[in-house]
Amino acid sequence: QVEYTSPAPWHNQAYGLPPPQPSFATTPEHSHLVSGSSSTSSLATHLKVKDSAPIGFSNPSNHSSSNDHFTDYGAASGGQRSRSVTRVLSKSISEMSIEEEHGSLAGATWPNSRATQAPLYSAVKLGKIAKKKVAPYAPPPAGKLNGFAKAVSAGGEVKEAEWPLSLKRFVERSFAACSAKMRFVLEKQLKQIIASAKANKKLVTMDWDNRPLPKACNPGVRTIKGIAPAKPASFHADIGELPDDFDSDERKERRLLRFQKEAEAAKQAAYVSSQATMASVPHTGDVLNWDADTIVGTCTKLEKSYLRLTSAPDPAVVRPLPILRQTLDLLKHKWVENSNYTYVCDQFKSLRQDLIVQRITNGFTVEVYEQHARIALETNDLGEYNQCQTQLKQLYTMGLPGHSMEFLAYRILYFLYTRNKSDINTALAAMTATDKQDPAVRHALEVRYAMATGNYFRYFQLYACAPNMGGYLMDNFADRERCSALLKMCRAFRPQLGLAYISQTLAFDTADECAKFLASLNIPILCDGPQPSVDMKAALPYAVAAIQNYEKVDIKGQIY
Amino acid sequence: MSGADRLSQAAFKFKALHNAKNSAEFAQIIKIDSQYTTTVLRDVWNADGNWNALLTQQGTTAISELSLMHFRASVEFCQGNFVEAYACQLSSYQAFLRAFSNMDRWGVHPLLAMCKDLYLLACRADYQLTRTEQPASKLEEATRAINQGFSMCMTDREPLLNISRKWGTYHLANLLFALYLRQKAFNMCNSMIRAIKTSELPSLDQFPMGDQVTFRYYRGLLAFQGEQLAAAKRDMVFALEHCHRDAYRNRTRILMRLTPIMMIEGSMPQSRLLRRYPPINELYGGLARAAMLGDLCQFDAIMQDKEQLLVSLGTYTAVEHVRRIAVRQLLYKIYLIDGKSSRLSFQRVRAGFWIAGLGDVSVFEIESILADMVSVGFIKGYLSHEHGVAVLSKQQPFPPIKSVLAASK
Repeated sequence: QVEYTSPAPWHNQAYGLPPPQPSFATTPEHSHLVSGSSSTSSLATHLKVKDSAPIGFSNPSNHSSSNDHFTDYGAASGGQRSRSVTRVLSKSISEMSIEEEHGSLAGATWPNSRATQAPLYSAVKLGKIAKKKVAPYAPPPAGKLNGFAKAVSAGGEVKEAEWPLSLKRFVERSFAACSAKMRFVLEKQLKQIIASAKANKKLVTMDWDNRPLPKACNPGVRTIKGIAPAKPASFHADIGELPDDFDSDERKERRLLRFQKEAEAAKQAAYVSSQATMASVPHTGDVLNWDADTIVGTCTKLEKSYLRLTSAPDPAVVRPLPILRQTLDLLKHKWVENSNYTYVCDQFKSLRQDLIVQRITNGFTVEVYEQHARIALETNDLGEYNQCQTQLKQLYTMGLPGHSMEFLAYRILYFLYTRNKSDINTALAAMTATDKQDPAVRHALEVRYAMATGNYFRYFQLYACAPNMGGYLMDNFADRERCSALLKMCRAFRPQLGLAYISQTLAFDTADECAKFLASLNIPILCDGPQPSVDMKAALPYAVAAIQNYEKVDIKGQIY
Repeated sequence: MSGADRLSQAAFKFKALHNAKNSAEFAQIIKIDSQYTTTVLRDVWNADGNWNALLTQQGTTAISELSLMHFRASVEFCQGNFVEAYACQLSSYQAFLRAFSNMDRWGVHPLLAMCKDLYLLACRADYQLTRTEQPASKLEEATRAINQGFSMCMTDREPLLNISRKWGTYHLANLLFALYLRQKAFNMCNSMIRAIKTSELPSLDQFPMGDQVTFRYYRGLLAFQGEQLAAAKRDMVFALEHCHRDAYRNRTRILMRLTPIMMIEGSMPQSRLLRRYPPINELYGGLARAAMLGDLCQFDAIMQDKEQLLVSLGTYTAVEHVRRIAVRQLLYKIYLIDGKSSRLSFQRVRAGFWIAGLGDVSVFEIESILADMVSVGFIKGYLSHEHGVAVLSKQQPFPPIKSVLAASK
């Protein structure tokens, strides 16, 4: 290999090229790459000089060492061996027996044998290999039903046999005019048109040849952002004929209402689309990603029980945003008055469903999820709490206002409950300094620290003073920590410990609760002395057994 | 000769090497800035004075497209347009993959070279994109592309082992680890390890040592993340012992994860090691010293100071386990100062903590700390709440740290 040790000859003035000038050396990692080249001067000077190799990139010296390293990759290739050796080696494999039937060694067609391939450096003409071309869509010949018509009539009430010829031509024309992407939508629209024509008994009499093509054929009608979505045209407009009472007052009013709604929708869509792109949203509009499928509810009933959606939502049962706000207030009152969790949870789920269906994501959505999470924590429904917490995490990253610190603290406590160490690590890594100064988050972090250093006294102190709803979360693993603390005390203390001391250390409200807890573990309490006490040595095996119960965590958390 | 002729000559060379299955030379010239490439490009430039020949030619076969895109990528790379260079390299790589399905083991070396180049270009392209504040997605694309090559290697059906493509699997797995860890996709790493375990590859020790060391390093890293310290230690120790003498940075990286594991077992890094690896000294040297001296105040201060660094490495929670050793040392000092009496009163411990700079620690907390020590085994004896003393055993009330930690495994 030729090794360049000096600047390449084409940098020489004698060649008529300007001397190399340093440029594009804005960062250290790039400065060694393009040594001595200017972006506007001749490109030849851009070719890198070999005496400065970038870090990790190929270097003549690297080549040789990497060659040695990689000889085992190349060793088995046919490149270095002679033909006879290759033949001998290949011959010993059983698969070659199939080839041997076809003739002698010289004529054998082993898949990778060099004997049958073209020799090196032959004058090979690069023949023109035709590129694979996708045939442009050719409209089907008239009168021939293609698969599209089948698709349109499939599942519909109108059979193909009932279609007049003009309708078939209409279907073909619309499929020819629409792009491949919109075919699915076009099918739906055609089905609708044909079904309504049949219902109005206009299937045969209607002038399909002159009827305008369905909307899906026009490009640019359905765009996500920017263009106002057209409200789905009324039933009659698709037929292409004016209804009888077109000019009546009732219809005029309805039309007016529809146009007002369309104008509002257009305004809102324009407002939403004028926001920044989705990638860096400080999200300010009410609805995310407004498009033709977004609906606005019309129901005014405050309460609605939850039903899992199995089809497209009906605006008549979906409540709009102002109604939902009133619903939230009502639910808050109801929860405070009578704590009927099943009812309130059901109502909250339907509230969340209405929000999702109308794609409303704003401060109100955050408030709804937060309230539901708090209520779930209070009743210890960890499944619902988890759902709300996941949604809240996404909403906070979108920049919506809410009690993010409070819920960050809950998240940390939940990871402690599930003993999810990797998630604790990632949460720690993602926290900023301002996050750590919030009192709720600080409390959660101190709980984590106490558990990590085995300081059970400090843990129970923190448990007793948990802010917000952290206490409810910590209740879930308080018993587990009590068992492990009890185990430590049984190992350490002799001969006896007073019940009062145990109940104080393990943060029980009264000594009776402590007694009940110990009784549930079958630990005997001695009442002969002035105060009830526990014999530590006798209690040790029970404490060990108690810990075994907590080795696996419930499925709502993580399996340890 | 004109530029176009020179280029077609170069394409001939690619094709010839492909037909000859010349793995070493093919891999060499396929690198982004290889000597051959620069020679060709210089000739084209001198002949034409511009790059039109490159831009107008179209590749017809996979190999010719590969070579053409490779030259384009080199030109863009030399000009510093890493985003375009990456795009060209990606199309060159896709063309190579099309040809690779017909290659056997000889194609592995060029594949590795191309993947490496793709990775480096993707990193630089992303860097450029982030500087101009555009979404940087090139690394993800590169990951997907390299994953294709990886699965082609791993699921190779060639019955002959010495020409099978499986010999490139671990090298590509290591490259993919680096990519995934850059994007913090730990679940992808774990699924890849599982896939390798269930596939029928030759055993790891038959692969080149470089592949083995790197693979074990990453596997140990992931085990460490998943808190499986025994498996992590096995892999990391192997990696450290077999790592190449000259690979200083790699050994530092291995030690960054290995040191906390050893410290948890009670083996503090020696001064010789700390001298040879200043990054380790900076991270763990102070902590090790404070722990062995029982200086809890200093230990907590350093932990707070280095918290960001340790958390970004993922070793913060592991190092917290070392704190118990520091507490044991402090208690041992108090025991020695009191003349090795067999009764250690809580008030004396409290006074000792006060002098050590930990402030006023309540008796309840002292009791809980001592109970923790006894239950782990650092102190042999028992606590008596009525008398307010810790009654220590007559022999070895403070057993040696390593034996205690080994027994508790």
